[in-house]
Parts: sequence; C-alpha cells; structure tokens
Amino acid sequence: MSLLPFFGAAGRALLAQRERVIGINRRNVTLVYPNNPRHHYPYADDKLLAKRCFDAAGVPSPETLAICEGLFAVPGVVEGLRGKGQFVVKPANGSGGGGILVVGEWDEAEGAWRRAGGRRVTPDQLQRHLGDIIFGVHSNQLEDAAFVERRVVPHPLFSGLWADGLCDIRIITLRTHPVMSMIRVPTAESAGRANLHQGGLGIAVDLETGRTTRAVHHGRAVELHPESGAPLVGLQIPGWPDVLDVARRAAGAVPLGYLGIDVVLDLERGPLILEINARPGLEIQNINAAGLGPAIARAERG
Amino acid sequence: MQISHSQKVGLTLAILIATSLGLMGWKVRNLGYSLKDVLPLTQYEVTYALDFDGHGDDVRVRSFLPSNDARQTVTEERDLSSGLHLTQVMDGANRVATWSGAEVPDRARIVHTFKVLPHRVAYTLPADLPVPDVYPPSAAPFLRPEKEIQVDAPEIAETLKRIRAGEGTVLERLTRIFDLTHGLQGRPFKGTTDALTALRLGEASCNGKSRLFVALARAGGIPARLVGGLIMERGSKRTSHQWVEAWVAGHWVPFCPTNGHFAELPERYLTLYYGDETLFRHTSDINFSYQFETRKALVPSPKAKASFTFFDVWGLFDRLKLPFSLLRTILMLPIGALVVVLFRNVVGMPTFGTFLPALLAAAAGSTGALWGVVAVAIAVGAVALARWGIQRLEILHSPTLAILLAAVVFTLLTTTLLAERFGVEPLTRVTLFPIAVLAICAERFYLSLTEHGGATAGKELLGTLFVMLACHVVMNSLALQVLVIGFPEVIFLVIAADIYLGRWVGMRLSEYRRFRALLFEAKP
Repeated sequence: MSLLPFFGAAGRALLAQRERVIGINRRNVTLVYPNNPRHHYPYADDKLLAKRCFDAAGVPSPETLAICEGLFAVPGVVEGLRGKGQFVVKPANGSGGGGILVVGEWDEAEGAWRRAGGRRVTPDQLQRHLGDIIFGVHSNQLEDAAFVERRVVPHPLFSGLWADGLCDIRIITLRTHPVMSMIRVPTAESAGRANLHQGGLGIAVDLETGRTTRAVHHGRAVELHPESGAPLVGLQIPGWPDVLDVARRAAGAVPLGYLGIDVVLDLERGPLILEINARPGLEIQNINAAGLGPAIARAERG
Repeated sequence: MQISHSQKVGLTLAILIATSLGLMGWKVRNLGYSLKDVLPLTQYEVTYALDFDGHGDDVRVRSFLPSNDARQTVTEERDLSSGLHLTQVMDGANRVATWSGAEVPDRARIVHTFKVLPHRVAYTLPADLPVPDVYPPSAAPFLRPEKEIQVDAPEIAETLKRIRAGEGTVLERLTRIFDLTHGLQGRPFKGTTDALTALRLGEASCNGKSRLFVALARAGGIPARLVGGLIMERGSKRTSHQWVEAWVAGHWVPFCPTNGHFAELPERYLTLYYGDETLFRHTSDINFSYQFETRKALVPSPKAKASFTFFDVWGLFDRLKLPFSLLRTILMLPIGALVVVLFRNVVGMPTFGTFLPALLAAAAGSTGALWGVVAVAIAVGAVALARWGIQRLEILHSPTLAILLAAVVFTLLTTTLLAERFGVEPLTRVTLFPIAVLAICAERFYLSLTEHGGATAGKELLGTLFVMLACHVVMNSLALQVLVIGFPEVIFLVIAADIYLGRWVGMRLSEYRRFRALLFEAKP
C-alpha cells in the first residue's frame, strides 16, 4: 500500500509511529463519530446546558450567579450584580474566548467595576455587553444566552504560571477513561489566550502521577517559562486523583463519549469543570511527545 | 444476521460501482455508445482584421469567405465591422464578400470572425486508373490555359515530355508532376509567380509551384485548379496559402506541392476560394493591410452528441436552447467537489467550505482562471478594507455581512469603471464573474477573519485559490466533460470515491509536517 517500507529502517519506524499518531481523519471517523452523535453536540457547545448536567450529577463547576436568556432579563441581572465583584460574563455558545468579560471588585466611589490593567466597566457598559451576547455578536448566530459565573481564584501553582488569567488542565477522555492530559498556559505573546498556535505554552502532565513531564512553546521543548523564567517541568499538580475523578464524572454526566475536558483548580473549591469540547484538538500529542493511539487502545480495553 | 457498519459502507460502494459500470457497459454494448467519440476535436476561430485609410471617400473591399464542405464546417460567423456594409454573393463555389462604405474615415477596420471545425482528408489513388479521353462538362474547363497558367507554352510541353508526365496512368502523371513542383527551391516571395516563371527560375513560392502544377497537370490531360486559403496556426499572420486540386474519377483531390502533401490535406488547411483569384481586392490608395488571427479550442465531437441517446441531457439542453457550457458546468460540479475533498482530507489544505473552490472554478470557466483569481482578490480586499472600517461600530453579524456585500459590489463596479477609463480591457471583465459566488467567498473570508484571525484567513484564502485552480484544470478537461455528459453515471463513481474518502482514516499530508517531531525524530 505504501512505498515507505522500501526506505529501510527509517521508513519502518515512520510506519510504526504513524499507527500511534492520530490525525484529523482518524479522530473524526474512529473517535468523534461513533462516540459523539451530532444531535448531542449541544451538550458541549452550549455551556449552560453542560453546566445544568454537571449540577444535576453533582460535578463541581464555577458557581453560576445569573443567567440572561433574553433582553428582558438584562437590567435585573445588572442591578443584582451592582455592589458585588469578581465575576465573569460569558456567552453560552461562544467560541475561541470571544465575548468573555472578566470583572474585578466593585468600586462604590466610581459606581463601576475594576478590570485588569486599571480599566473600568460601568453598569451601562455591562448592560450593553450582555445585550450584545444575547444578540449573538460573539457566537455568529441569531441569538444566544449570557451567563455570569463567580470568578475562579486559581491555585498558586497556576497563578504562578500566568497571573492575569486562568490556566486550565485539558484532559482527553474516552467513555469516561482519561487518555492524555496537558496544561495550557496563556502568555503575554498569546495575548492572554491559551491558544498553542498563537504562542501559548503547553505542558504535558503524566496521567498516573499528575507531574508535569515536558513543556512545549512554539513547537519546541522548553524547561522554563519563556517570559517569567519559572520552571515548568517536574511540577506536581495538587490533588491530582481528584482532578481525574472530576473529569471522569463530568464525562459521565453528558451523553458524549470522546471529550476534551477543561478543568481549573480553584484555591478553595479544588478542581472545577470549566467547559467540555466534543472535538478536542490533536496538538496534545505534540505536547506529550506521544501519539494518542496506544492510550486510546488502552482506554478501549477498559 | 447483523450487518456491521463497515459492511454497510462496503455494500454501498459495491452497488454504486456496479451500477455505474453496468450502465456504461450496457450503453456501449446495446446502445452503441463509443468511447472514442468522446475525444474532443480542435476548433479554430479565425479573424480577418483588415486595416485601411478611407480618406473620407467611398471604399470597397472584396474578399472570399469559407464555405461549408465535406472537409470544413464553418459556424458562428460574425461581422464586427462598423460603418461598412457587407454583401455576399456566390460565384461558382466561391463565397464572395464585399464590404462597401461611403465617406469612410482614416484608420478604418474590417473585422470578420468565424469558427471552423476542419477535418484531415487523404485519398488513395488507384494505381491503374487511365487518363480518360473525355471529361464531363463540369471538369473539362479546368484543362484550359489561363493568363498565368500557360498550359500551351512550348516549355511546358517540353517539361511534360522530359519528366514523362504526359504518359502512363493518372497516378504516374500526378506523382511525376508533384515530384517536380515539390522539388523546386522554396522562395519567400509574397507576390504572384506565373507557371512559366516558376519553371524558368527553378524556384517559387506556394503560388508559383501551384500554378506550375496546374499547368503541367492540364497539359498532361488531367483537370486541375488552384485553391486559395489559410494554414491555421495559433497567433496572427499576414500570409495566405495556395495549393491545388486535381480531378480524379469525379473527385477533386488535393495536393500541396509547397509542403509536400500528396493526395491529402492536413486538418489545419482552411479553403477560402477556388481558381486563380486574388484574396483581397480593394479601392486603390487606401494603405490596405490585412492580418489573420487564429485561436484554437477543443470542442466536443458531434459524433459523441449523436451517439449519446439514453438520459440524453445534451439533447435536452439543445432543445431548450441552453448553452453547452451550462450543462458541462452543472455536471462537472460533483467532480470539482471531489477534487476539493481530496485536497482537504488527503492533502490537508484548508479552503473556504467544500463547494466554494469548485463553484469558483465553475464560475471562472467563462472568464478564465486568472480572472477568477483577480475577482476573488478584489472581493476579499474589499471585505478586509470594509471590515477594518466598520468593526469599531460593533454591529451585528447579518447587517455586517450585508454591508460587506455592498462593499464588494461597489468595488467590482469601480474596478470596471477604472479599467474602462484607463483602457485595461481584460480587467473590465471581472464584473462578469458571478456575484453570488463572490459574495459567498467574501462571507467565508469574513467569518474566518473574525473567528480565527488574519493568518488563518490568509491561509484558507491561498488554499481556496490553489484548489480553485486545480478544480479549474480538472473541470475544464473536455474529454472528462464529454465522458460525464455521455455517461452521467460516472457521477456514481464520484459518489463512491467520496464515500471511500469519507471513511478514510489515513493521515493528511499536512499532518506529516504537523506531527513531524513524533513521526521522524528519535524518542528521548
């Protein structure tokens, strides 16, 4: 079938490795389609629906402070938030982090909330932002719902990696079995996004122990944070069995079989599910320097 | 018994392939479809471009236009000359065209175009055919001398005797005359050479050799005539050509002593007139110059059209007077989409959607691939600029797209206006590019730009253009087009290929690069 065997040992090694690495076609045909029926995608795409499933199953996720499912609800929600602080506004069906507004403490003197970088957001601006989300500005659809979550206070291990926002742990699960995991760290270069293609850092986490084994920046293995110089390899994620347990239970709470589960470690509440993804990316293989194939095979054996 | 998923897929594939091949086989065996008819023919588009200065006076230009005969089919004839009146009369077998006008200004131009589907002809002359004593009245006049074809000159008689072309069979005489005239030195001389001069000089251009051939044939008792025409080659030229025909057992058999064609004529010879005529006659003193421009294109063979009768969409389009180009565009779209699937799922090249490159290629079928690229570049440029202008207004998605469409329309029209003003004629054609396809392209580009950023959108744009060019090449393959039109069940094979690719789990070419560290480098 392939000419590769004729290129000798290197060719055979390539063939052997090729069986381990999962490409997009193989992910879709052998993992996504059989395990994630399309009509169940909303459980992953709609963050509110997913949160309801998690709540029903007792899976911890950031506390929901308010939900706006129509323009009529916006003024009441903004009034209810006045005087409170440390929350995050999100679109239920947003993608790529669009429309997420992170709000700090309430400043009574100014009648506004503080934001990172000394900026302010007034109740009027918040009202407008909620309206935009409901009109689908951030989700490319005609209408959407907005919800407000309590802001996660990250565990010092994670705030040490990136102080201005959240690092999450991505765990791939197949029918509730964890398969591979990594930490995604935003950088100043990636403009605060945990996107690995835009300069974010990926740190491989050993599934057995919860220790970080290697880190990758721009496709190259690194030992230290490229901006802060902090060490990245050999870190122990606290309460790792709990993290895996929460991920397993989250995977069991929705009718989707192959998932990318994003977990954050809250200082007080421990592991919380941030969101789930029904078509998790394949870059995790490059971060872990290992193909998903053997791990998937192990998970399928149970 | 439970049927597994892969069995279902395999069964579907088998049914599709069997249906397709079965139908094709049945049509070839029982309906007489012929695959060799599928091969396209070369059609030539010839333009006469005649330039002259009328000096404000009356002008007449007379020439010959080609007629339909067994060797050439002339279609889509159009006269694009302004200010001159064209009249046509038949003079024997010749179609004589006269353009006339009053108060014709300087730098006037006659433009006349037509398309020709020529065929090669070759005759086998019987070796033992004797020269007849009497010819029918239609052939007899072609034995007489003419002013520049001196049949009864003593030198012609001597030469005839010397080469023994006055004795033996028709084949022997014609062979000897052909060898003599073909053996004369060539001469790049544009004027007229009569038969005797050609003989005396021992060298001549095409018309001298042909006149000598005719003179010798007539003297040797075989009716012969001059033929004037054009050797069709891509590009422009200022030379016409002359060759001869000899009357053999009721047939006018062609010979070209200049280029060595004996009793045969290649496809690219276009016959314009018979007899010792001048191709152009015109009012004197008008600085007359002429040029022939020839373009080549492949067209479906008429035989294919006639033989494809089952599920005859071709005939249907003919009856509804819909253009062939529309039919081929529609039928080639599934094949174009398959090309896109190959690029996306096997190569891993990102594009705007699955249909768009194929649609763009179909749209570019009428304007040419280059103008497709230009039109897309203009549309995408307009979108990028408009988005830059309106993103700070933070308006909703659908109205934004509506504004972008307006920007695309406005940019296209402005481009055409400017192109016309500055005389960049080809650029005016971008407006011909179907706006619906461009609008979809603009929308996809905008979505990609907002969701994934400029780098990704740019990559997808380049991928789209590249795959569009690939689709253009495949979808414009005429043999493939005629195959699909004659055997539309080929689409079942395309669907089978789509299903196969839809279950194909191999790694995309781009992923060998993406995971190169995992695939090629030694593990730590």
